[in-house]
Amino acid sequence: MALFRTKEIIAASKLPPEGVKLSRMIDAIYFLPIAYFGVFATFHMHFDLLAGDWDFWIDWKDRQFWVTVTPIVEVMYPGAIMYYFWTFYRQPFGATLSITGLLVGKWITIILAWYWWANFPMNFVMPASMVSSALILDCTLLLTRSWMLTAIFGVWAFAMMFNPSNYPIFAYSKQPLVADGALLSLADYMGFTYVRTGTPEYIRIIEVGSLRTFGGHTVWISAFFSAFISMLMFTIWWQVGHFVGQSFFWATGKRGVKYRTNDVMIVGTDEYAQRHGTPNGIAPGASGRATLAEGKS
Amino acid sequence: MNTKNLLKLCVIGSLGVATLGLTLAFTAPPAAAHGERSQEPFLRMRTAQWYDTRWSPSKTSVNDEAMLSGKMHIAEDWPRAVVRPNRTFINVGSPSSVFTRLSSKVNGIPMFTSGPMELGGDYEYVIRLRARLPGHHHIHPMLAVNGAGPIAGPGGWMDIQGNYKDFTNPVKLLVGGTIDTETAGLVAGLFWHILWGGLGFLWIAWFMIRPMFLIRARVLAQEGGDELLTDPADKVAGFVMLGTCFIIIAIGFFVTDSQYPYTVPLQAGAPLIKPTHLQSDLTMKVLAADYDVPGRALRMTLTVTNNGEVPLRIGEFTTAGIRFLNKVGVANNLDPNYPAEIMALDGLNMEDDSPILPGETKDIKLDSRDSLWEFQRLMDMVHDPEQRFGGLVMSWDDSGNRHINSIAGAIIPVFTRAQG
Ligand SMILES: [Cu+2]
Repeated sequence: MALFRTKEIIAASKLPPEGVKLSRMIDAIYFLPIAYFGVFATFHMHFDLLAGDWDFWIDWKDRQFWVTVTPIVEVMYPGAIMYYFWTFYRQPFGATLSITGLLVGKWITIILAWYWWANFPMNFVMPASMVSSALILDCTLLLTRSWMLTAIFGVWAFAMMFNPSNYPIFAYSKQPLVADGALLSLADYMGFTYVRTGTPEYIRIIEVGSLRTFGGHTVWISAFFSAFISMLMFTIWWQVGHFVGQSFFWATGKRGVKYRTNDVMIVGTDEYAQRHGTPNGIAPGASGRATLAEGKS
Repeated sequence: MNTKNLLKLCVIGSLGVATLGLTLAFTAPPAAAHGERSQEPFLRMRTAQWYDTRWSPSKTSVNDEAMLSGKMHIAEDWPRAVVRPNRTFINVGSPSSVFTRLSSKVNGIPMFTSGPMELGGDYEYVIRLRARLPGHHHIHPMLAVNGAGPIAGPGGWMDIQGNYKDFTNPVKLLVGGTIDTETAGLVAGLFWHILWGGLGFLWIAWFMIRPMFLIRARVLAQEGGDELLTDPADKVAGFVMLGTCFIIIAIGFFVTDSQYPYTVPLQAGAPLIKPTHLQSDLTMKVLAADYDVPGRALRMTLTVTNNGEVPLRIGEFTTAGIRFLNKVGVANNLDPNYPAEIMALDGLNMEDDSPILPGETKDIKLDSRDSLWEFQRLMDMVHDPEQRFGGLVMSWDDSGNRHINSIAGAIIPVFTRAQG
């Protein structure tokens, strides 16, 4: 028994062998150069504009803003991209695609811009990784097959897992040290020791003790708040995906009335001809009863 | 020169050619490579007034310590256009982190985070540096003011020799042990990025090995297509991946937590730095001042009173990090290492250079004339929306004691020789 249902799916697509071959070529050309690079370039720009500094600098990775802002910004593109890949292809990799793409862009920047050009050590500008969160989000959509449940459970886990999954990368920078008689974290000291002419200390938007009510649990309170806003963001961006990912056809019916049809896959099929009486030039040869019966699966 | 620097030069070169092209196209005045001269004159003359700046030593090898130090007077006549210095940070203006900063003290208080400064206050800064990137670097002290941006002090050249590969920046941790800021946490960070990135690509590859788009879209459009596309293998993969993620996250988190039992949040306090004040037996008032555009000179008339007990002579006028001296200034205040390009040794003239005697009040015509006014782009003052100037006047008694006055006043431009 085969691992996958690929054969049945190809058979159900009713494409001739050349069509199947061609569709794989379309997959390759469309997926890597267009979808993947398009997503990584635009998502990278989008992310750096909204949360860039928290992600670049080791001394911006605080318990309040970094933990809040990153998941909220990082769930936006996945929302729209997941809508698109799920709705049209039932492919559950939209979030992983967005976030691995973001990280490809990030690492190009780290190596070429930060390390090679600006000479900052790579640990100083190490980005956070939300790939684990993205995998959880994609798996939730795959298993629940519901964007509402994904928004509630998947996105909640997406944001809540941000801190624990990044703790192994950044915990070392929270070790205390004493410099000139003042207690600093290693991250503070690195931000101080590596001179950034254009980024004076006050530019940092970090926790200054404003969540004092919650004592030492700042990071979990922030994550919870972040999860809540992320859910909202995810649903908004899912709708953005819906808006941007609309596909429809303007067709002319039997009586010459123009109308919009949203199901593009049906245009040109026999089912379409049956519903509307005539494909009206869109699907030549799809007019008789005989072909209609053959087209029904 | 290695290939890396050669490549960088190529990029800078092409940018330079583009800049030159634009400059010629718009006949813009030449801007300094570092941009310090492009700041408006009112910003440089009437905010932070830098003096006694020292870059020592000017030649170091990688890992050597160096010092950037000096004093700064926060002008009383702070311009309306600039946000008040309520949150400031003493910074180093350098092309990238060519030095690491080991310590930065302002009036003896360490300044790791930003704090307020007072108008009329005087601040002495001492910044200890460690040479990191070899090269010939232009280094400025810098006052960054929240809301107003960076205000660059005078720039001096510092040379670093050696090899960057030899650079280390060890730091002692509070709980014991030493860590190098250049490499700390790098291997762990790369490991986690590669691990998660690898799992992410694996997940995408799981779906890439099968028909991805056109075929699935056609099947999905059919009755029952959705069920057909729900491959049981994918469901299993989903559960496995979900479990793997949670398990790895949990292991990573708890192992790290036990590895670093003592951590502190980012520190974000504000240092409270008490200013000192300029000491002078003289009182000075600007009676009138004009700016001779064709003659490239600032001419001012000051009413000066000597309230002290010894005669005093004016020797230096300094503004925007640029120093105009006469013989008195040269004799008393010439630091041979001060960058010659921002100093006019014969740039200060007085009609009457007799000393100001104790108890005496007189009007002094002071004239600072030098091409530096134009070269440092301070003549652009005439384009500012507020025609005022400021600076520090330094005077000395015969035993070499210095008296400093901060002056400020309105200024009238003189556009033609006939007008002057
Ligand atoms: Cu410079």
